[in-house]
Amino acid sequence: MSKTTRREFIKRSGMTVLSVGLSQQAFWHHVRAASESVLTQAAALSPVDRLLVVIQMDGGNDGLNTVIPLSGLAASLYRQYRPTLAIPEANILPVGTDAAGTLVGFHPNMGALKELYDRGHVAVIQSVGYPNPNRSHFASQDIWHTADPEGRKRTGWLGDYLDVAFPSPDNPLLAVSLAGVRLPLTLRAERVLVPAIGNVVNYQFRTQPPGDHQNKMQAFLALNREAASEHVLREQIQRIALDTYESVERLQSGIQRYKPDPAIVYNQQNPLARALQQVAQILAANLGTRILYVSIGGFDTHQSQATPHATLLARLSEAVTTFFADLVRLGLDDRVLLMTWSEFGRKVVENGNQGTDHGTVGPQFLIGTRVKGGIMGEHPSLRAEDLNPGLGDPKFSARAIDFRSTYATILEKWFLVDSREILGGAFELLDVLQV
Amino acid sequence: MPLDEYDKIAHLLRRAGFTAHPDELDAAAARGLRATVEDLLNFERFPDVPPDPEILAALDLPQSDFDRMRSDFLNKLTRWWLHVMVTTPRPLQEKMVLFWHGLFATSVGGLEFWQQIYLQNENFRGNFDPDTGQLLRPAPRNPFPVGNFRRMLEYLSKDPAMLYWLDNQFNVKKNSEVGSNENYARELHELFSMGVEDVVAKVPNYTERDIRQASRALTGWRVLPRAVGFTFPRVFSFDSARHDFGPYEHLGKRGGTNADFIFDNIVQHRNPGQKQSAVGRFLGYRLFKFFGYDDPEPEIINALADVFDGANGEAPFNIRNMLRTIFTPGNLVSEAFYSERAFRAHVKSPTEYVVSLVRLLTFDRATGRPDGLSSSQNVMRLVQNGMVQMGQQLFAPPDVSGWREGLAWISTTSILARFNFANDILALQVAQGGIDLTRLLAQAGLQEALSQGRYSEVVDFFARLLWQAVPSAEAREALIGYLQAPIPNGNNVASLKIRGLIHLMLAAPDFQLS
Repeated sequence: MSKTTRREFIKRSGMTVLSVGLSQQAFWHHVRAASESVLTQAAALSPVDRLLVVIQMDGGNDGLNTVIPLSGLAASLYRQYRPTLAIPEANILPVGTDAAGTLVGFHPNMGALKELYDRGHVAVIQSVGYPNPNRSHFASQDIWHTADPEGRKRTGWLGDYLDVAFPSPDNPLLAVSLAGVRLPLTLRAERVLVPAIGNVVNYQFRTQPPGDHQNKMQAFLALNREAASEHVLREQIQRIALDTYESVERLQSGIQRYKPDPAIVYNQQNPLARALQQVAQILAANLGTRILYVSIGGFDTHQSQATPHATLLARLSEAVTTFFADLVRLGLDDRVLLMTWSEFGRKVVENGNQGTDHGTVGPQFLIGTRVKGGIMGEHPSLRAEDLNPGLGDPKFSARAIDFRSTYATILEKWFLVDSREILGGAFELLDVLQV
Repeated sequence: MPLDEYDKIAHLLRRAGFTAHPDELDAAAARGLRATVEDLLNFERFPDVPPDPEILAALDLPQSDFDRMRSDFLNKLTRWWLHVMVTTPRPLQEKMVLFWHGLFATSVGGLEFWQQIYLQNENFRGNFDPDTGQLLRPAPRNPFPVGNFRRMLEYLSKDPAMLYWLDNQFNVKKNSEVGSNENYARELHELFSMGVEDVVAKVPNYTERDIRQASRALTGWRVLPRAVGFTFPRVFSFDSARHDFGPYEHLGKRGGTNADFIFDNIVQHRNPGQKQSAVGRFLGYRLFKFFGYDDPEPEIINALADVFDGANGEAPFNIRNMLRTIFTPGNLVSEAFYSERAFRAHVKSPTEYVVSLVRLLTFDRATGRPDGLSSSQNVMRLVQNGMVQMGQQLFAPPDVSGWREGLAWISTTSILARFNFANDILALQVAQGGIDLTRLLAQAGLQEALSQGRYSEVVDFFARLLWQAVPSAEAREALIGYLQAPIPNGNNVASLKIRGLIHLMLAAPDFQLS
């Protein structure tokens, strides 16, 4: 949006009716991309309707106790390596057979997610990682955030997408992070500003006394519109301040449109459920937001992991399925794709403290009605020769899947953009979406 | 238009300190720019702010008791340090402690004993002796915060928090290639001294092997788990049984029996064909970026590196000499520092935002000093939450590379956080630790102007105080308009409008810049 139109927007301070959408340029970019894509020729889903929700599982999820081998050598080795942590076979919820013929099942606390799986709305991507795995949280998270194993990039893969797809961003809410006050690197862009919102209720300009709010905001806008300065830096601050105002106004008026359904209860004890409820509020508001980001922490389970890990998986399963039900109710399920990720899996061999240490590959979930449900890829081999010597975690082998394949699939098939520049190369696309 | 002397002094006190009240500016102007620079640099002339007895008492608690109150401890520590920054007669000392905290970024997030972060803060102030674990004001041989950088590397490497944070306490002799843990050796090169590349020549400063070899020399460095008289690990110890006595091959040299060899090599390291040392350039770059502006020119970096190297006959590796070069008028570096490019072109960090706000609004013209930051629970909570929301939780940088500075401080989230912090702190009553605006207005003699509706005077006064500038016609008009606008269905007391005016001026772009 040009400056004038942004200011036009801000001038309409009453702002009850909003028309929010893509800029012309961005729209045509998408239309072009769509028309070039064979995949979308018959698709009912228009390119601007496609939304992505990212769920970060912070700390390194123990994938081996999330999607668990139930047959073959993997199952017996799993029990052997995990004397205290192996989930009893009878409790595992079988879901399907992977490409190598291994039957796998979900952790017992993931019953709700299994129901979604049974309806064909969950794709499990097995053994996701990258070559020369880094076992540091920071380093490996940065690699996943930036899609750059060299760790040199300072912008995130979805930030880069936003810059590419929205060259002249007109909407300060193109993407929103609900994962705390720090913007996740995934969403850091060169140009597009993404707000990090701790909680939508608090995403407001507080003024004391409240009755003086309008007066204050009017003066605040005037101070930030004032063109007196020749300093670039000052102008940039003004621009961000105006964007902030605009995003707050849009968000606060928009989320009023969300009416909770008494039949769909987000468990308020579950932080992920609370965050996803806010995602639903934002999506229901139809603010032109394309990407939402939430996070659930606590997966760094070095000791006595059985109970806390089980709780986390229950939360994930519960929150996602509640959210999905809400999307169905809101008529949005067709438009939303969910992706989970974690910076690494954990070691196959449990440590001496009934926990597990940092490892390599792990499973990723894609969830949504547009997902082609099932198991993609193979469970990691647990044979000694397939583990990193001395480290006890699966090698990144030929049967593993590079996380950038997941990204490429989302960029190319969901967002309909060229993934190569964003990812620094071409990665194999996965057959996990029906669009 | 070049800056006049008054502008230069105001600029200097904003950057080398935490902003000065107009009375302080007048006093400094009377002393002159050079004398003001020397007062800043030779801060030992002035008394230091004493430690907080509550923080000292917490260090003596049994560990389980301490752990129960450790987030409270962190709030207290944050409040205390910000209070020190507000009230210290040694502003440059505290600015440098903040600089080292950002450069040698250590977070309680990676610490088992949070008390250690306070010791590190005092270490960076020159008040901690890692060899004995003692806090002394000052610790006699401690080179921080402006002394010899070569010796700082030693004091940094012996710092208990650092030994825990980057795992060097676990680094033991392994083989002739590498120690058992190279984490610290890597950051020592990459983040703490020279960076991956020479800042000017853009060539690699070192190889992976240099790191591995350096890790050997750093083996056997530990923190005594239980030293007599202390409740948590705080005394450095060298364990010869775990140490690899070399010789090492490091940065093109072979020899050494301990880390002295590594520290010496680092500070003297020059890339082929380069006149200046890699560390001199790195520190020149970082210091000028911190005090002056982003992306300083190579000539500036090299001039500062020459000072670091002792190329003009001065003692080498001396940080104070580098600072003197930046601030004393009459050389290439200080010309850049006092240039229009630098003037008002630094985005305040959240720390600078909070400290300058409190400094200016609690300044007591009767004593000539700011009151500081209240230690009331209300204020403490507000400050801790505010700093987190604004993106700079002290003692908890996002990772070992510290905070992203400059425009990166400003986002929609942080704009909102700054706006809301200013609102909330101004809404606090004096009894809750809030700012005494009655005194401020009385000392300013503004009550008459206010009651008679001479708002232009009021706005100009606060612009001079907070923005250190004459407001533009547009800004003045907007702010007068605000003062005149009645609060609908509200209690239209002048004090509410004055708070609102100050709030707006603190949220304005002018106050985000220094």
